[in-house]
Amino acid sequence: MSIPSSSPERESSAGVQLECPSSPPGLDADPPSTGSPVLSPDSSSHDAVLSAPAASPADSENLSPDELELLAKLEEQNRLLEADSKSMRSMSGSRRNSGSSLVSSSSASSNLSHLEEDTWILWGRIVNEWEEWRRKKDKLLKELIRKGIPHHFRAIVWQLLGNATDMPVKNQYSELLKMSSPCEKLIRRDIARTYPEHEFFKGQDSLGQEVLFNVMKAYSLVDREVGYCQGSAFIVGLLLMQMPEEEAFCVFVRLMQEYRLRELFKPSMAELGLCIYQFEYLLQEQLPELNIHFRSQSFHTSMYASSWFLTLFLTFLPLPVATRIFDIFMYEGLEIIFRVGLAILQYNQTDLIQLDMEGMSQHFQKVIPHQFDSCPDKLILRAYQVKYNPKRMKKLEKEYTTIKNKEMEEQIEIKRLRTENRLLKQRIETLEKESAALADRLIQGQVTRAQEAEENYVIKRELAVVRQQCNTASESLEKAQETIRELQQQTNRTAHPKYTEQFVNNLQTQLEQSRLREAELLGALKEMQDKVLDLEKRSSCLPDENNMAALQEEVKQMKLRELETLRSFREMQDTVTDLNQRWQHHMSRSTGGGGGHWKESPKKNAMNELQDKLMTVRLREAQAQAELREVKLKALQLDSQNQIHSKLIGRHEQERSALQDRLQMLANQNKALQAQLNEMKRKQAESDCKSKEEVMAVRLREADSMAVMAELRQKIAELEIQKEEGLIKGQLNHSDSRQYISQLRDQIAELKNE
Amino acid sequence: METIWLYQFRLIVIGDSTVGKSCLIRRFTEGRFAQVSDPTVGVDFFSRLVEIEPGKRIKLQIWDTAGQERFRSITRAYYRNSVGGLLLFDITNRRSFQNVHNWLEEARSHVQPHSIVFLLVGHKCDLEAQRQVTQHEAEKLAGAYGMRYVETSARDAINVEKAFVDLTREIFELVRSGDIQIQDGWEGVKSGFVPNMVHSSEEVTKGSRQCFC
Repeated sequence: MSIPSSSPERESSAGVQLECPSSPPGLDADPPSTGSPVLSPDSSSHDAVLSAPAASPADSENLSPDELELLAKLEEQNRLLEADSKSMRSMSGSRRNSGSSLVSSSSASSNLSHLEEDTWILWGRIVNEWEEWRRKKDKLLKELIRKGIPHHFRAIVWQLLGNATDMPVKNQYSELLKMSSPCEKLIRRDIARTYPEHEFFKGQDSLGQEVLFNVMKAYSLVDREVGYCQGSAFIVGLLLMQMPEEEAFCVFVRLMQEYRLRELFKPSMAELGLCIYQFEYLLQEQLPELNIHFRSQSFHTSMYASSWFLTLFLTFLPLPVATRIFDIFMYEGLEIIFRVGLAILQYNQTDLIQLDMEGMSQHFQKVIPHQFDSCPDKLILRAYQVKYNPKRMKKLEKEYTTIKNKEMEEQIEIKRLRTENRLLKQRIETLEKESAALADRLIQGQVTRAQEAEENYVIKRELAVVRQQCNTASESLEKAQETIRELQQQTNRTAHPKYTEQFVNNLQTQLEQSRLREAELLGALKEMQDKVLDLEKRSSCLPDENNMAALQEEVKQMKLRELETLRSFREMQDTVTDLNQRWQHHMSRSTGGGGGHWKESPKKNAMNELQDKLMTVRLREAQAQAELREVKLKALQLDSQNQIHSKLIGRHEQERSALQDRLQMLANQNKALQAQLNEMKRKQAESDCKSKEEVMAVRLREADSMAVMAELRQKIAELEIQKEEGLIKGQLNHSDSRQYISQLRDQIAELKNE
Repeated sequence: METIWLYQFRLIVIGDSTVGKSCLIRRFTEGRFAQVSDPTVGVDFFSRLVEIEPGKRIKLQIWDTAGQERFRSITRAYYRNSVGGLLLFDITNRRSFQNVHNWLEEARSHVQPHSIVFLLVGHKCDLEAQRQVTQHEAEKLAGAYGMRYVETSARDAINVEKAFVDLTREIFELVRSGDIQIQDGWEGVKSGFVPNMVHSSEEVTKGSRQCFC
């Protein structure tokens, strides 16, 4: 066995600088591999650089020879593995390598039995001297863990690794079980689906499910923020396969709190995003072709890698492999997940590049999980060939947080913009409505204006027409006025002076006459009215209305006649005065107008004489007429008197007849009354008779009753007599009896005496 | 050897945890029913070919999502590139029915400007005795959202094929009528290689292109 001679610039672990002599038998045939188990400077095409914290060689000096020996054995094993992997690669491309690798690993396995025993002893020591190993021999410890913790030691070593011994929360466990958690239902449903094939958890009432439920519930109560997350049950399940529930609970609490798992399982799952981001960086850096292929196929990292981080490969790889990874995880944290993930991708790169997204998904689901079944060490070896720079990871973390923050801000901004948008849309709506309303109003206004303009036009036309009419009317008026003026002028021109004077005088006299007549007539009227009133008063005594009306008619007729007569009288008087006037006029003319009329012709004088004669004749005529009128008047008067008398007579006759009627009526009444009286008398006589009869009847009854009474009295008397007789008889009897008794007594006495 | 298919549709299956999404998909794609299986952590991927009419084959890529709410940050990324979806609830779990509304909101808000054609599925219909949601009210809800409703059972293989085939048909009609279009960079619908047949929509576009020469 050749001691690995490491190149000085590489990181050196404890085993490198040792000149460990002992070598397991039969490990000669392999080509020398340099360096520590994880260093292979020229073995692979990858330049794998292990980035681990630089440690001084001085730490490694405290190993016992046994330990060193063991370490050498382990290294040997690693070399074997590497050789296998090399040979495998040279064979290029068979994925199912179980067949080929068995050949080479069998050679190693023969050594394992020895190795196992030794490792057990070693681990026993490690556990006992934990503190020391942890502090001082951590390199070796790391190596040993990478080799895998022996199954039976896992429980205690995991607890030690997680620093989960003596946790105060352990004491709370039993209390927590009694409480109820809001996630209970959720946990219950998922429990049945966790490790369904595993013996420990199979079956609904299996112990495994019970304890799993307990631990999940207890954790959900301790860490309310995380509560229960699907996927965490697998980790707890694994723990429960190794240790009892209280311990599992403690380890789980540690895992969640110290190993970033809590951040992964929080409701926001922000840590998962970060891990994916970091993983993608590694992918891009170390497997660029594959990365390009993934992107071209839209095969996102989260599609395959989410469960890797959330369940630590427990759902992806079979338990034996996953448990090995878990061992390392307990010591080194999430780093191993990145490494293993990348190792897997690197291992399958050639295959994946040829597949489309679907094919890749199938590959991930069906092929990859079983690739390292036979030899998990290979996977781990490859994992440690992956470049991993913690500083770089930290930087990525910062980048990621800034990106996330930006995204969140953008989200907030988007939300804000969305609400603003919504508000603006609403405003637009309202404004549109307003503008529509305004447009309506505007249109209406215009319509009314058009209508008004039309009306205006019509009115103007009418006005024009009217104006025209007015003009024509005024023109005609002017014309008429002109004609009137002309006519007036004409009349003024054609008037005769004489006639005008005479005419005026005539008119004046006629006016005076008519006024006189009027006054006289009014006076007469008044007189007549007074007379009528008198007559009316007189006639109001009489009940007969007909007479009154007739009287009034008579009066009216009389009045009319009188008025007629008066009028005729007046006419006569007028004519007389007229004639007188004419005469006077004529006289005046003939005398007064001598001066001016001297030049008149003699014909005119003859005419004047004729006129005088005419006048006298007319005078006589007038007188005759007057006489005639007087006579007529008298006749009329007599006539009227006659009428009055006859009327009176008629009235009287009427009165008489009326009175006769009344008399008859009264006579009739009288007769009727008489008849009534007779009847009354008759009736009274009847009633008298009746009453007499009654009296007689009463008396008869009285007599009867008297008779009866007398009889009764007789009977009473008889009865009394009988009574007395009876009494007497009684007395007699009594006395008889007394006598008898006395007789008897006497007899007795006699007898006694005897 | 590639099977010849007309189109490839990407579907997403969403719904509350434990309603039976993984089971339904496994029954459809692998023909088996597993009484218990792991809860989906993140997303799972499946595919299958369906023949909606004789000679017309559609390839379905189905994404199975985790139901627990905190996984939504992961599953959100998948809505955008899906053209169709099955919205599952458990007929024996009233709460899962009430959450249908939330799932729909979630999907719709993350899929813009595209839109997903959904089918409402009432799963576990074999458990009639424990039914908490009536068929009638589910149909009413589906009608209100403008989607169809099917009741399925993966255990008894009731309506499993029907659910997927109906949804595929619906999407196919929309693609044929042009309401849904193939777009670069969108994974929801992809056209397949068909040697002798010409798509009706593509025929039209090709024809119109030729006219410009």
